[in-house]
Amino acid sequence: MGELFTVNMGPQHPSTHGVLYLELVMDGEIVLSCKPHLGYLHRSIEKIAENRTYTQFIPFTDRLDYLASMNNNLGYCLAVEKLLNIAVPPRAQYLRVIMAELNRVISHLVAIGTFAQDLGAYATPLFYAFRDREKIVELFDEICGGRLTYNYIRIGGLSGDVPAGTEQVIKDFIKYERKQLVEYNELLTYNVIFLARSKKIGILTQETAINYSVTGPMLRASGVKWDIRKEEPYLVYDKFDFDIPTGTAGDAWDRFKLKLDEIEQSLRIIEQAIGAIPEGNPVSKVNRVFRGSGETYMRTENPKGELGFYLVADGGLMPYRCKIRSPSFSNLGALPELVKGLNISDAVCVLGSLDIVMGEIDR
Amino acid sequence: MLFIYIKRIFVGFYSILKGLKVTFKNIFKKPVTLHYPVVKQPMKERFRGMVDLYPEKCVICYQCIRICPTAALDLGHKVLEDNKTKNITKFTFNAELCCFCGLCEEICPTDAIFLNKMYEVSYFDHKDLLSIDLMSNQKYKHVDGGVS
Ligand code: SF4
Ligand code: SF4
Repeated sequence: MGELFTVNMGPQHPSTHGVLYLELVMDGEIVLSCKPHLGYLHRSIEKIAENRTYTQFIPFTDRLDYLASMNNNLGYCLAVEKLLNIAVPPRAQYLRVIMAELNRVISHLVAIGTFAQDLGAYATPLFYAFRDREKIVELFDEICGGRLTYNYIRIGGLSGDVPAGTEQVIKDFIKYERKQLVEYNELLTYNVIFLARSKKIGILTQETAINYSVTGPMLRASGVKWDIRKEEPYLVYDKFDFDIPTGTAGDAWDRFKLKLDEIEQSLRIIEQAIGAIPEGNPVSKVNRVFRGSGETYMRTENPKGELGFYLVADGGLMPYRCKIRSPSFSNLGALPELVKGLNISDAVCVLGSLDIVMGEIDR
Repeated sequence: MLFIYIKRIFVGFYSILKGLKVTFKNIFKKPVTLHYPVVKQPMKERFRGMVDLYPEKCVICYQCIRICPTAALDLGHKVLEDNKTKNITKFTFNAELCCFCGLCEEICPTDAIFLNKMYEVSYFDHKDLLSIDLMSNQKYKHVDGGVS
């Protein structure tokens, strides 16, 4: 064994997906241990929640996982609705499902593009993914006026109905994206260089995944069939027919492939939801002053895993406590286990396959 | 061994060619990007830009002040001698605090406050962003593309 040395990767590093700082102990090219340091993006969002009314906190949830704002809005609003027993009109429920699934698609697209870039596929796959993502971002811009921080879902409904013609845009997108998925497979998935770089790299076994409470695509890539949308259906997910894709090996390639499969499943859900969407008024008309007491925990399936909101209310206008269980935080916990014994370039590949967002890790 | 090595080189080369086929198909498609400062995309109907106000519509109900999650708005008023008419003494907006959530626009009963279509908000001095006088009709005039 040669002389050990420490490499500080980040916090400003293109492949750490945000301000993550990894302390790697290296023996030559081999990573012996890895220690993630967090906190560079800490904004004390949980404390902010205690000082804002229930409605006022919705814009802050946008800033958790900023690639999936709709899903964060949804998780928080569902938690408040569960706490205060607020009913949601059926049209709003269907629209929420569509928005959440569209957001899952674009979040996975970013993950796919950046993962390919981490493997050295320079910028082409990333730009292809962003080109597709742009279509949905434009649609969201039309629906709610924001391109990244949507702030669309309200307690008890939505901030507004979708403009006319949205259905057609979504239908066109589904058709377009199915074609694009074939292109991604051609360009990346079964490319031998891509396979050589990502197969058998960063293998996460079922047992380790469960021990680290890893959730989402990362858990399913290890072969565990677990999806909150099926296990504990919220909204109207139990009315749709969709599969839970699972991987077998739990390596970086499986995690990548699973995201492509999940996009296909999301498109299926959107297709069914668009066909069955009822008439009505989805806009939340309830008074914006909410009061309640008790405590509740609501978990939803975010693109990156299980997002949980634990709310305690003491009868005041603001929650007494708001604890956020963010998927990326737990998923990142498994990283030191995965990169042991790999080359540093493979460690970057593993980190890219985790698909983390620092916004919800540091909160 | 050598044979496998050469074979792998050829297979890798072939896969690159296959990837190039995909990119080649895209070469002749229309570009999807805009030359931004030259060509500007019109903003969408519901786009949330800078906060703007129709002063004559405001009924001084303070709802926007109360809903704002970041306390970016500041309103003051005085009651005239007849004890009925209220006059706004100051209505300022702090663009550095605002998170462009649009809650003020949503809650306003008379649609007095709204978010306009401005997105190019570079100022020479950041102090100018701290208190933008919403009562003035010159508020965004000096910014290129400023409306209202
Ligand atoms: S857009 Fe949101 S943050 Fe900005 S002034 Fe209105 S309520 Fe406040
Ligand atoms: S909510 Fe509208 S009417 Fe009320 S104070 Fe604000 S701008 Fe004026």
